[in-house]
Amino acid sequence: MDVQDTFYNKDEYVETASGNKVSRHTVICGSQNIVLNGKVIVQTGAIIRGDLANVKTGRYCVIGKKAVVRPPLKQFSSGVAFFPLYIGDHVFIGQDAVVQAASVGSYVYIGKDVVIGRRSVLKDCCIIEDGAIVPPDTTVASFMRFTSAGTIEGGQGNPDYVPPGMQEQMIDYTKSYYEHFVPIV
Amino acid sequence: MSDMSAKNKLKIYPKSVICDDESVLIGDVTISSGCLIHPHATIHAKSGPIIVGENCLIEEYVTIVHDTGTVDLDNSGPTLVIGSNNVFEVGCTVEAAAIGERNVFECKSYVSNLVTVSNNCVIGAGCQLVDEHHLPENTVIYGKRSEQRETIEKQKSLSMQLDHLRKLLPNYHHIKKPTFDPKKPREIA
Repeated sequence: MDVQDTFYNKDEYVETASGNKVSRHTVICGSQNIVLNGKVIVQTGAIIRGDLANVKTGRYCVIGKKAVVRPPLKQFSSGVAFFPLYIGDHVFIGQDAVVQAASVGSYVYIGKDVVIGRRSVLKDCCIIEDGAIVPPDTTVASFMRFTSAGTIEGGQGNPDYVPPGMQEQMIDYTKSYYEHFVPIV
Repeated sequence: MSDMSAKNKLKIYPKSVICDDESVLIGDVTISSGCLIHPHATIHAKSGPIIVGENCLIEEYVTIVHDTGTVDLDNSGPTLVIGSNNVFEVGCTVEAAAIGERNVFECKSYVSNLVTVSNNCVIGAGCQLVDEHHLPENTVIYGKRSEQRETIEKQKSLSMQLDHLRKLLPNYHHIKKPTFDPKKPREIA
């Protein structure tokens, strides 16, 4: 997959020892509760709510512009609790997406303007189309595609709703996105 | 409007929790007690004052604009009163002409300034209300085509969520100080 160079302003981004590139214009709350496992890109305007609960991402994730990553809330009869949010490796989160999932697997593609409802579970290698609204408590199984019309497509006898070799493609895509995320010279 | 005059017009009642990082409150805005505002929310009193009722929850990237089409230059614009116990979820844009009590505006919903919202309504995630509309009580807007129906379910109580966040947020954020105390006769400058 050909990924074009994405240029960023060198003054705007901070690169950590483990290769995370985090914009200064983000709202990272409760940074002691956030783990970015390396080579993660957090773009301008993104919000990560580590103050509500732990947020953990794997390697080579991309969190797009103005995306909001916040741990999900559950109301019990005795009170409320925020659950920790785990995101796997090689996950792409598009711009303006709102992710309130309980967990996101690896090699997941989340398009732009997506709303992931509270406590949803996204398994490995699934695709959430641009503009889709995933209702709360939904599980999207592996290799499924959640369409913008609100249906889950794929499954047995329905191949190729995700590209063949989804895992390799996401590894390729997120790695080359990271490599092509370069400062303006 | 200069920064100073905007600041003086902002009234924050005690016992509200407003995260100071990058939240934007422009114009004559009154935040009643018990409100909770997450970082990066925008409240813009463009055509007249906004009064946010008690115990409202306003999340990230919420935009509340009071816009009747005119810009309030001489403080004569009508007041937008937002009732108590409303929830504005992440990324919603609300320009409604009137908002009652106990409504929920879900993620990325849009309500234009031709809409009036009564009580106990839910605007579903991603729903757009553009045309002139009056939402009667207990209305639910749902689905891709923003269909409308009535609910018989009661809203879950917000108070536990608010209590939890009220304890949690001051540990991590700078909280705006109250600027107005109803017990004292005059404003604290």
